[in-house]
Amino acid sequence: MPQLNQIQELVRLDILKIESEFDIVRARQAVRFYAKEMKMGVVDQTRITTAVSELFRNMYQYAGGGEIIIERGDFQARPALVVTCIDHGPGIEDIELAMSDGYTSGSGMGYGLPGAKRLVDDFFIESRVNGGTTIRIVKWA
Amino acid sequence: MKYDPDEIKVSRRIPIIKYGEFLIVSIQVDMHDRLAMELQTQILEEITKTNARGVLIDISVLDTVDSYIGRMLYGMATMASIMDAAVVIVGMQPAVAITLVELGLDMPGVLTALNIEQASRMLRKKMKNKK
Amino acid sequence: MTEDLKIKHFLERIEKIEEAMITVATGDFSVRLETPIEDEFTTVEAGINLMIEDLSEELRQREEREKELREKLSTIEKQKQTILQQQEDLMELSSPVIKIWDDVLVLPVIGTVDSRRAQIMMENLLQSIVDSGCTMAILDITGVLRIDTQVANHLIKTVEAVRLLGGECIISGISPAIAQTIVQLGIDLSAIKTKANLQEGMRYAFQRSNLQVRSTSSDNDNLDEI
Repeated sequence: MPQLNQIQELVRLDILKIESEFDIVRARQAVRFYAKEMKMGVVDQTRITTAVSELFRNMYQYAGGGEIIIERGDFQARPALVVTCIDHGPGIEDIELAMSDGYTSGSGMGYGLPGAKRLVDDFFIESRVNGGTTIRIVKWA
Repeated sequence: MKYDPDEIKVSRRIPIIKYGEFLIVSIQVDMHDRLAMELQTQILEEITKTNARGVLIDISVLDTVDSYIGRMLYGMATMASIMDAAVVIVGMQPAVAITLVELGLDMPGVLTALNIEQASRMLRKKMKNKK
Repeated sequence: MTEDLKIKHFLERIEKIEEAMITVATGDFSVRLETPIEDEFTTVEAGINLMIEDLSEELRQREEREKELREKLSTIEKQKQTILQQQEDLMELSSPVIKIWDDVLVLPVIGTVDSRRAQIMMENLLQSIVDSGCTMAILDITGVLRIDTQVANHLIKTVEAVRLLGGECIISGISPAIAQTIVQLGIDLSAIKTKANLQEGMRYAFQRSNLQVRSTSSDNDNLDEI
């Protein structure tokens, strides 16, 4: 499995905004569309679509919305879908805790981050209290 | 109030059909959160109205089931069982099944079936055993 | 010729040589110097022409070699794709899903299983269950010599996914060696139904379908068969 830093250039495919709950569905359908376009297998398409659905919902629920950048990168003729979620919400206080299995918050289900991470090939997260959160995931086709 | 197609009520979006003593709910659209909640309420109301003993939720068209929808389905099964009706999740796509397992979403005790025929057979057997 | 005229003539020749050099520097090797009269410059001009010809030939040969290399690279790429495709095909073929009874599928696994193969097997099995409508699947690993944590987890995942679809998947043919490995690796198989061999697996599958296998008595007209 190639690494993200082996990709020379990221090509921007789309930028979306999450402002309402309808956007969660629309945005994940867009991700599936791009995954299908780069000939990703059906199961992998479902994996990344489900993973981003978790992230988009978090963005909407905890940060009131945010921005999504969908990009494509290639390494030795193998394409990867890179989705970056940026919000300016309250941020995650303890990232390690949020990324551990069995963690729950408010609604009782946590941020679903460990699950989302399992579904993708690479997972990067940056967050500051009251400084927003940025999560980037990579899935190779 | 401005016309907003996304606001269309559950009854027009997701049909709930009477099928003998059961109800069949065929989810054909990618549900957003509010629709999922309304569907839950609607199904419970229909169970009361029709005295249905079982609800078959057909998700064969759904290509994505995230933890939210998963929890909704699981919640529906629990709520319905409190009303003495059994819920069967029918027609899950293989990719969805694999993803739910990898996501770690546990749905303990929820009945599942490959198709409507097997689901009805399962429910009838269950009801017969109860009597 | 007078001295002045000679110098002017020489300067012109030098200018022409300079022009030719500049043209060659831009990559145009078609230029050649013309020698109007036999003098001291003639040898230089002839020499320069030869040099340009040599350079031109060198360049042509180099481009030809590069073209050859590119074509070879393309061929190798295509061969690589073919090999990859064949590997995929092999993986699919080596674990066919077999419907052995009305409601029972068997997936016999033979040889080395790596993560990728386990993944493909899982997807094949799930799709076969959906396509055939069979609710019982037996994953037989009699032919598997060893497994690691990743593969074991794939097997567990497969059983759980089949359950979500509305079927049941059991694993048969766990050898003593694999049983040891599983315990040593600390893998929890408590949620999975296992049988020692395929025969026991089939017996279980028939039981679940309320079927029985009985021997037919040769002196009994009423043959009790399934």
